Amino acid sequence: MISLYRFSYEPSEHECEKASYSYLMSLIALVIGMPIPIINLIATFFFYVANRNGTYFVRWHATQALLSQLSLLFINSYGFWWTVSIIFTSAQVSNNYLAYIVVVLAFNIAEFVVTIYTSIKTRKGIHVHWWLYGDITNAMIKPGSGNGKDIF
Amino acid sequence: MEKIFFKLLALIALFLAILFTANQVNWMALLKVEENISSTEEKIGELFWELYEENNREINDLSIIEPIDSIFSKICETNNIKKGDIKLHITKNYEVNAFALPNKHLVLNTGLISEVNNEEELAGVIGHEIAHMELDHVMKKLVKEIGLAVVVTMTSGNGNNQVILESLRTLTSSAYDRSLEEEADIKAVDYLIAAHIDPAPFADFLYSLGSGSDTEEYLSWVSTHPYSKERAEYIINYSQEKTYKKESVLSDATWEGLKQNIDQLH
Repeated sequence: MISLYRFSYEPSEHECEKASYSYLMSLIALVIGMPIPIINLIATFFFYVANRNGTYFVRWHATQALLSQLSLLFINSYGFWWTVSIIFTSAQVSNNYLAYIVVVLAFNIAEFVVTIYTSIKTRKGIHVHWWLYGDITNAMIKPGSGNGKDIF
Repeated sequence: MEKIFFKLLALIALFLAILFTANQVNWMALLKVEENISSTEEKIGELFWELYEENNREINDLSIIEPIDSIFSKICETNNIKKGDIKLHITKNYEVNAFALPNKHLVLNTGLISEVNNEEELAGVIGHEIAHMELDHVMKKLVKEIGLAVVVTMTSGNGNNQVILESLRTLTSSAYDRSLEEEADIKAVDYLIAAHIDPAPFADFLYSLGSGSDTEEYLSWVSTHPYSKERAEYIINYSQEKTYKKESVLSDATWEGLKQNIDQLH
């Protein structure tokens, strides 16, 4: 599901650090916003916006980190509102609900592990290309379109 | 672009396949959900009832219990509700109030029995509280008001007395969400119709409570059940759509006897 490549150029130490942060951003937000699924997306979105004009390597990874949050946003949101409806309305805990929550937890844990792995590898300057998200990022981010500046 | 689209479809398919597989497992049994929920509810119900009983004497007079039990039984039997699961308590209290506690404790104050004008009004109130229990509103309200963590702490025996008292007060003297009240009202009408009890007097009772009276300070069922006039209207509208028989559960003499016995207590 993930592939390791050499990037088209050798990213600097500073770029590796920034790119690695884009993944850590979603993890920090995950701890704070566990029950509120939108928090992770907002955190990575702000990082993306702040670095959209950064170097190619930083932009690429900020975009991949942002995209990876999108699919989780949908499945987590559905689980979140389902849980809210069980607590506050007449909806009941059912086997369907529990199965959904188990699957959501499994996807979140998998995403968590892959994100940590990617963050570590990216910090070392290794280009980690996620299945699907890496392809979308490739289609969106082209070299040379940014101004090469990192904001934070 | 085509490659991305197919990968996206594959990801969705993978998620659905895993979800389908997970659905084949009986998580309810595996995680003992039913047992855990009923055990928590049972502990909290007993805790609350014992606390309430300390300050409110339960009536054991059969001349009062039997007529009310006849109405209660008729509603349960005609609606496939397990009567044995519900603990009906009649307590000596001037407050016009009736409420449901966790673990299916149904409490009727003598003040409420004294306030109703006929058996249909009383049946409406009983039906409404049974509906809250059957629709699992009681624990939901408790979790919403005091939080799941406090509920679990109470069941472990580490609950603070003040918190337990406050939670009991919440259940006995504050309203459910408007949508839950409406749901319980509609369910109560269904119960009454199945039991061949006219729901119109229940609506009249709500309407008269909503109009206020000189004994307003005792009318807890109004404050715990707001929008009484509006509720009376939708009960009437809903019951008009139905065809139903009207039969009395109690004879006139039994009803009068019950009222007299309640008045003597006061």
